[in-house]
Amino acid sequence: MKRKVVATLALVSMVASLLVGCGSGGNKDTEEKSAKSDTFKILSVWSEDVDQGKMLNDLCKRYQEQNKDFNYEIELVSSSDLNTKVATLMASNDLPDAFAYVAGQPLSELIENDKVVNISAELEKMGLEDAITDGAKSLLTELSATDDVYDLPLGLNIEGFWYNKAVFEKAGVEAPKTWDEFLSVCDTLKAAGVQPLSAGGSDRWPLTRLVNAYIVRSMGTDAVSNALDGKASFNDEGYVKAAQMFADMTEKGYFGQGVTTVDNTTAGNMVLSGESAMCYNGSWFTQDITADTNPAGEDGIGFFSIPVIDESISAATEIPMNCGNILALSKEKYNETTADWLKYFVENAGNYGITEQGQVKGYKYDAEAEISPINQMVNDAIDNCTKSATWFEAMMNTETSSAALDNVQTLANNEMSAKDYMKSVQEAYDLSK
Amino acid sequence: MKTVLANKKAIALFVIPGLILYIGLVFVPVIWSFVYSFFDGSPGLNWHFTGLDNYARLFKDARFKDALAVNLKYIAMTMLGQVVLGLLMALIFRFWLKRFKNIIRTLIFFPVVLPTVAVGQLFAKIYEIQPNYGLLNSLLDSMGLTSLVQPWIGQASTALVCLSIMDVWVSMGFYAVIFYGALIDIPEEVLEAGRIDGCGAFQTFRYIILPLLKPVTITCLVFSFAGTVKMFESAMALTGGGPGNATTSLSMYMYSTAFSYNKVGYGSTIAIIIFIICIFGTRIINLFDHQKEE
Repeated sequence: MKRKVVATLALVSMVASLLVGCGSGGNKDTEEKSAKSDTFKILSVWSEDVDQGKMLNDLCKRYQEQNKDFNYEIELVSSSDLNTKVATLMASNDLPDAFAYVAGQPLSELIENDKVVNISAELEKMGLEDAITDGAKSLLTELSATDDVYDLPLGLNIEGFWYNKAVFEKAGVEAPKTWDEFLSVCDTLKAAGVQPLSAGGSDRWPLTRLVNAYIVRSMGTDAVSNALDGKASFNDEGYVKAAQMFADMTEKGYFGQGVTTVDNTTAGNMVLSGESAMCYNGSWFTQDITADTNPAGEDGIGFFSIPVIDESISAATEIPMNCGNILALSKEKYNETTADWLKYFVENAGNYGITEQGQVKGYKYDAEAEISPINQMVNDAIDNCTKSATWFEAMMNTETSSAALDNVQTLANNEMSAKDYMKSVQEAYDLSK
Repeated sequence: MKTVLANKKAIALFVIPGLILYIGLVFVPVIWSFVYSFFDGSPGLNWHFTGLDNYARLFKDARFKDALAVNLKYIAMTMLGQVVLGLLMALIFRFWLKRFKNIIRTLIFFPVVLPTVAVGQLFAKIYEIQPNYGLLNSLLDSMGLTSLVQPWIGQASTALVCLSIMDVWVSMGFYAVIFYGALIDIPEEVLEAGRIDGCGAFQTFRYIILPLLKPVTITCLVFSFAGTVKMFESAMALTGGGPGNATTSLSMYMYSTAFSYNKVGYGSTIAIIIFIICIFGTRIINLFDHQKEE
């Protein structure tokens, strides 16, 4: 009997302590928060073995060496979970000090809801308005459709065509300057028994990039955003013509058979090994080109910007640029610590990128370092870029973007007409509004 | 024992833990989804009541109709393939094979235990066309049938069939084992009696084996139906739902609606439709059982 009483008492006290734990949990949390609020929290998608992750980590570490009080914590999520994670954190008003996010439409939403710091304004206060290069600024503001910059890039990529020099030489062709030349190069290569282009159709985005390439050159860099702003419609002739151009290219067999089954890595490797002559890719491809595994060797691969259609509409120096995931700062958490970190980051990121990784990161730099020719070529192209274009889906919401991505495979197989393709994109956009 | 089972309290004691688990893990989420299907947006963000709008939207949504058609075609092809080939394999095990029975049975069952992603990679290689011909295209090519060389999983006309073939290959062994178990249960005397009465091989199958296998066949059909109506991971691994939406099933569409487009409400509505299809499908299969009995 006694035992029962003791047991009951123990149970009751246990339950009570649990409840008490719950009750005071809230207070404890806030206490801890205020004590720990100095910990600078970063939500990242870059592991330490990729360039961006290394840069973020190293810069935080170096900053910490100068400021002993500075504590930071990097939480890693996979990029596919990023949107959901940020949405959840935002709903509970718990965005970390800095967080990786997606430029374009997703970031625009946060800007509209006043969740992120206006970085241009902050940098101006610090007298650092020039810390971010003009090219990067133009790209970021175009992506967020604002006048000011609201995010920090961790790298800049240009996009265009990469070609195997040996294959070109053998077929007696040169890197084309105009779209007509480009098509005739394709024809010559095909007649010589080489597959002119490879594309990662199973990843889908490499195909929409090709449609976009023609749109950019024939209608200007703002053509896609015009359609999304309602100033134009995807059903308009120009867009349909671009889709038709791509469909014609697949029908002529430029991409070989079954382009929708090839993934982008394979498409790139085909160029390196000379199984195809060209592919469209971003400058992240240089990692594969400079790798020891590249059978063509680093000098064996060349780059040319999207061939020009009409110089007055879009010149060769207007290139699609891509910054990958970006880093945004939570407006609610923004304080002196963050401001100081931001200052350090923008002042040092440029030099870090050049000296440690041989890459232009979108920040001003004055350091000099030995850079491989292909990286130098990319850096020069970024420096000389007069206007940046975005990729096809950058400004689209998810429904429109998945219609564009899914149906481009059907378009590539010539199972859907160019007109229907653009119609499907426009319809998805109208439905999702 | 009898007194224990006659005691209602005892019955309750045995049933309740399972029942609670079932209610918690199956019933509550279904009801939850049902409630969600009347809302728009995703919980915490723009979450508001919209009444029957989501259901009305189903009728206008071309992608939903496409996904439904893909799913039904896939169910029909895969279910038929799995059960018929499973039965055929079992018959071969039972009546044909004299030697290496165990090895062959193991080999046929083997794909069942392989992870779907690995099988997807394997078949992607088999169907490959670029940069190198895969097994299938090389075979066709070497036999001189170059006109048949094609991007099997890269075109809408063949992708779903290729996917279906992969899934039949994977689960055929599972059904073969179930049928084989039922086949060895059929007493030799019954078969012999049939033979004495002059039954040929086909007649033995049609009038003796098939009726005796009916309960097992129905179980297999239900299993296969439940497996195919979910259609998700194999399509994800082989084609990613492509090309276009040619292999995007209802559950894949539900997933992207709820988690990529952040429309949990509409996603739940699609989930409810899948649930209804499940219930009706199973009912129809069972109906076929009862009718025959009467």
